[in-house]
Amino acid sequence: MTRIFTRLLGRAAVAASITMLLAGGAAFAQSGKPIVIGQTLALTGPLGQTGMVHKIVGEIVMDDLNKAGGLLGRPVEWKLYDDESKGSTARTQYERLITIDKVDLILGPYATEGILAAMTVAQRYKKLYIQNTLGIPHLATYEGQFSALMTGAEPQNTFPVRVLQAYADSGFTPKSIAIVTSKFASAQFNSKGMEALANARKIPNLYLEYDFGTRDFGAIAARVKDFNPDFIWTGVLGVEGHQILEAYGKLNYKPKAHLYLYPSPSLAQVPGAEGGISQTSLEDQPPYTNDPLIKHYAEAFHEKAVKANLPYPFIDSQAGNSFSGWQILIAAVKGANSLDDAKLIAWLEKNEVTTVMGKRDFKGKFHTNSVDATQIRQVQNGKWVLVWPRERALPQSKLVANK
Amino acid sequence: MPGLNLVEQSLITGFLAGSLYGLLALGLSLSWGLLKLVNIGHFAMALLSAYLTWYFGTELGIPAWWAGAIIVPVFFVYGVALHWVFVKFRVSEMASMLITFALAIIVESFIQTIWTADFRRYSTPLADQSFMLGGLYVPKLNLLACLVAALLAVGTWGWLKFTYAGKALRACAEDAPIASAYGIDHKSLTYLLSGICAAYAGVAGVFIALIGTLAPNEIWTWIGVVFAVVIIGRLGNPVGALLGGILIGVCEALTQSAVNPAWAPLVSFSVLILLLLVKPKWI
Amino acid sequence: MDLSGNRFAGYAALAVLAAGLIAVPALDLPAFYVAFLFVLYYWVALATSWAILSGFAGYWSFGHAAFFGTGVYASATFAAKLGVPFLLTIPIAALLAAGLGAGVGFVVFRLQRLRGELFALMTISVTFVLATVVSNTPIDGGLGVYLISVQVPEVFGSSTGTFYLLGLFFAALSIWTAWKISRSKLGLGLFAIHDDEDVAEVKGVPTFRYKIWAFAISSGIAGAVGSVYAIYVSYVTVGDTFDVTVIMYPVVMTIFGGSRHWLGPAFGAVIIEAALYTAAAGPEASIGRAIVALGLILTVLLLPSGVMPSIVRLWRSIFPPRKVTYRATAPAASATASAADGAVLTIDGVKKSFGGVQALKGVSLEVRRGEILGLVGPNGSGKSTLINMITGHYPLDSGTIMFDGVPIHELPAHDIAALGIARSYQIPRPFDRLTVRANVALSGMFGAGKLDDEASVYGQAQHWMEFCGIANRADDFPPQLNLHERKFLELARALAARPRVLCLDEVLSGLNHTEVDAALDLIRRIRDNGTSIVFVEHLMRAVVALSDRVAVLNEGELIAVGTPEETMRDPHVVRVYLGDAHAA
Repeated sequence: MTRIFTRLLGRAAVAASITMLLAGGAAFAQSGKPIVIGQTLALTGPLGQTGMVHKIVGEIVMDDLNKAGGLLGRPVEWKLYDDESKGSTARTQYERLITIDKVDLILGPYATEGILAAMTVAQRYKKLYIQNTLGIPHLATYEGQFSALMTGAEPQNTFPVRVLQAYADSGFTPKSIAIVTSKFASAQFNSKGMEALANARKIPNLYLEYDFGTRDFGAIAARVKDFNPDFIWTGVLGVEGHQILEAYGKLNYKPKAHLYLYPSPSLAQVPGAEGGISQTSLEDQPPYTNDPLIKHYAEAFHEKAVKANLPYPFIDSQAGNSFSGWQILIAAVKGANSLDDAKLIAWLEKNEVTTVMGKRDFKGKFHTNSVDATQIRQVQNGKWVLVWPRERALPQSKLVANK
Repeated sequence: MPGLNLVEQSLITGFLAGSLYGLLALGLSLSWGLLKLVNIGHFAMALLSAYLTWYFGTELGIPAWWAGAIIVPVFFVYGVALHWVFVKFRVSEMASMLITFALAIIVESFIQTIWTADFRRYSTPLADQSFMLGGLYVPKLNLLACLVAALLAVGTWGWLKFTYAGKALRACAEDAPIASAYGIDHKSLTYLLSGICAAYAGVAGVFIALIGTLAPNEIWTWIGVVFAVVIIGRLGNPVGALLGGILIGVCEALTQSAVNPAWAPLVSFSVLILLLLVKPKWI
Repeated sequence: MDLSGNRFAGYAALAVLAAGLIAVPALDLPAFYVAFLFVLYYWVALATSWAILSGFAGYWSFGHAAFFGTGVYASATFAAKLGVPFLLTIPIAALLAAGLGAGVGFVVFRLQRLRGELFALMTISVTFVLATVVSNTPIDGGLGVYLISVQVPEVFGSSTGTFYLLGLFFAALSIWTAWKISRSKLGLGLFAIHDDEDVAEVKGVPTFRYKIWAFAISSGIAGAVGSVYAIYVSYVTVGDTFDVTVIMYPVVMTIFGGSRHWLGPAFGAVIIEAALYTAAAGPEASIGRAIVALGLILTVLLLPSGVMPSIVRLWRSIFPPRKVTYRATAPAASATASAADGAVLTIDGVKKSFGGVQALKGVSLEVRRGEILGLVGPNGSGKSTLINMITGHYPLDSGTIMFDGVPIHELPAHDIAALGIARSYQIPRPFDRLTVRANVALSGMFGAGKLDDEASVYGQAQHWMEFCGIANRADDFPPQLNLHERKFLELARALAARPRVLCLDEVLSGLNHTEVDAALDLIRRIRDNGTSIVFVEHLMRAVVALSDRVAVLNEGELIAVGTPEETMRDPHVVRVYLGDAHAA
């Protein structure tokens, strides 16, 4: 008995030593003061549900980074504050991150209002400012700002063109368009672009704006149904997409073709969402998941999202924006081999970065990519499916229009 | 100009949406008017009830009416307990505002921690269905909410006006020391009323879950409108609360159908301001 | 100025604090501290300015965001869109906001019934209307306004120093304003309005004017704060500006800190903001906020008037304030114009109905100079209503009332009080949250005596309290007094106003025999000083003993007037009081 025991003990000791050596080794490999990356996210407030997605992405990226030895041989830490979906809070918290916590690097928050408010702080301290969701690119007047989006410098002009092109490729040309948009800054801005395009192409259109806190969409839905448009462009942000679809349902109205600008990914599961399209640069499906890194992220995200109780626990465009932002930051640090913001800014101006959303540069105005590379997805059978451009979509996925 | 069909449909939509405001306003109006307690936490409790209804229905498979049957009595007990705290610490009207506001924050935090900030939708077979009235759609669940709101409003009004307990409560609200001098057991009556107000929040929540999508932040989108409904309907007047709600709901809907919907709050609140200035008898 | 140790030390400490705070941007502190202090300052200013009307006078405004927003967008529009120098936009913002406040007050303070709730509704409505207008017009339009290009003068080397100092200035200004008001006539009037607005009006407080002033000052400060906030945040949006926190936080901070104390809201603001930034900043923000909320609840349950009063009590137990004694100063000779005989008050054909009930059916009566006129009649005969008509408590339906030749029936009650008519209430209606001394002093300030300086106000208050025998209760609050003392407080308040006509409404009810005798004696002395008295009473022996003449009312009509003996024997009077069997 004792012999077995001693042998087991011996084996345990060896195992323990090896583990300690490895751990020590890893720690040795990333020794030194951690690099701190500071950020705020909308963890509470009306934008909270998308803030969650960004939080999970951040956790995944941090895990991977530290497992792979950190950055520049040092471990990495993520300092995250809640900005309550408010610009003023974001602005104050970034000042805290930079001047009190003295973070080495910062990443922008979620959503236009927070991004613009915090950008003034970044500008004051000349920090590299990578943001991933600014829907009004021309307001980003700070030279140290870089956009992770794939929409180019004028999404309000380019994206509506792409949408109509996508439908044209499927043989559908809407003869009337209804534009229903929230008054959230980026939603309204881009929706106005659709209105301008419709007017330029002489397509009769109905343009409606609603207050960000509107509680009941019955009358708006009735008005849209009354107009009976071929295509409905819906400038939604968050929950309103769900609410508008419910309102259509109660009127027994099925839109012929519909688009949702910045929906919550769980929109796909709403009855009546079938056929709705939206922009995307990443989904949890081939062809995207053919890339092993994306596949890895997809699995990691799914695991964490399920544990966090998200109703749509899969990566999509929103997560893609977030991953890209991180990748750009990491690429810049590695590429310039420095934490100096000026050097990082200079590096990004001259280089391309490969992100989960594709290879991209920053040569467009306001440090966006030079072309609008957004793709289009559609809700088919309760899931988002990439349908355009045709070359990227799977052969079996077609943009189904005018059902 | 909107066609007649659109106007009529908007009227229906607005009427039903407004009756939901009225249902939410009911408990707040009663506690403010008769108990002199401004319960800002009322909305938070309604949303909690909504989340619970969703949770029972979606995760535990308990249908809404059973969920309601569980939630409403529990909320009643909560209302009694809350009032006990107010009485024991002799909380003033002003202090009640702060306390219930803080409670609202706690409840919002609780909801967000357990069910996250993401949206929850209680999908029931009836969710998308509507009755047909001529060419107009009357969503079934919204109609049900309206009927329940009307029932509770009229029932409460009748109870206050005709029963001993109701009259006693109104007497206490006007002048508590005199009322107790007349032998009115004002203590247990106020507990009863507080429980009822909380129970009404529970009922409102059940319908909020059935009718719409849930997010923790919704507490704050309701506050402005429901406050306005409560005041314009006269504090402590249940039928007034319902009618006030319908008035605002209809104003909003008609505006949304005729002009840029973003102007809706302007119209409904301007109507209120006008009513305040003109001051018809019923205000 | 009293340069005793305490005062001097206090001012010195204040000066050091001020210097320290002003110097902050010049120190090499991390900018976040400067920004965080700015956040504290603007919440202090918002909460304190809110309390000037809503805390002091009790008119809860849920529209502070409207005035804040006016300031935000005034600066955004004038500075960013019209190129006006930023500093100039601040007074513009303050004036616009104050104007809006005065305008809203002008409209809503005229509404008599349900004043409190309707004011709350009006303020909510104005906020929504303003937010919608701003959001749908080129003022904002939905895309927000970017102020990054606005030139801001740089103090201490950066714009951070500028908005910091502006914030500090407005925080200090709001606290100083609240302090000044709370010690002024305006403040006393506001506190009185809070306790009992109708009585305050009758005691001579110009309630309408005072409320508008308070609201305008409150709104103006909020507007100025909004202006500075605009450059702090650099990108303003409708959602952020008219947020529910801007509406609710000043309310919560004030209640928490103490709504009647000038430093209460500031204290509440600092504690709550600091707690939120500590507890609610990180990833577990939601839970942090819940913990802060729980702390608020527990504090308010234990300290219902807010934290400040408890701190004051604690401070006073450690540093007891010097006991101030007031020497009674005899008031100037009575305000009787001429010693001429004749009617001082002429009531002609006064009618008043309430709903369906006609309380006065056309009463004509005169009160002669220097007389004590007893006003008697069964319950419901209209005696109190007549007093209410005279003092302007309610407007009359028809008829006239002349006071020394001046028509007063269309004047607001506070003007009538200033002319020299005062009353006591049958059921005492003192201002419960003001001391006995303050209650009496208020009448002196707002009544016919028109006293201006503190010395004579409080000196005379002391005189009247001694005259009525309640001087020993001077620093207590009315709820602590017994009925006898409250009745005499009523009397003292009425007398302190130096009226030429004093209306006493059943001042003897509830008193025992000895107390009645003392009261009768007092009333005679008052008349001997030159005041004419109208004296509603049920106690017959008092009526007979005291009155020069008696007027008998029944069901809103005057049925007899004459000497006590004449009227008591009038058959109609006897029938009314005792029934037919006893007549004639």
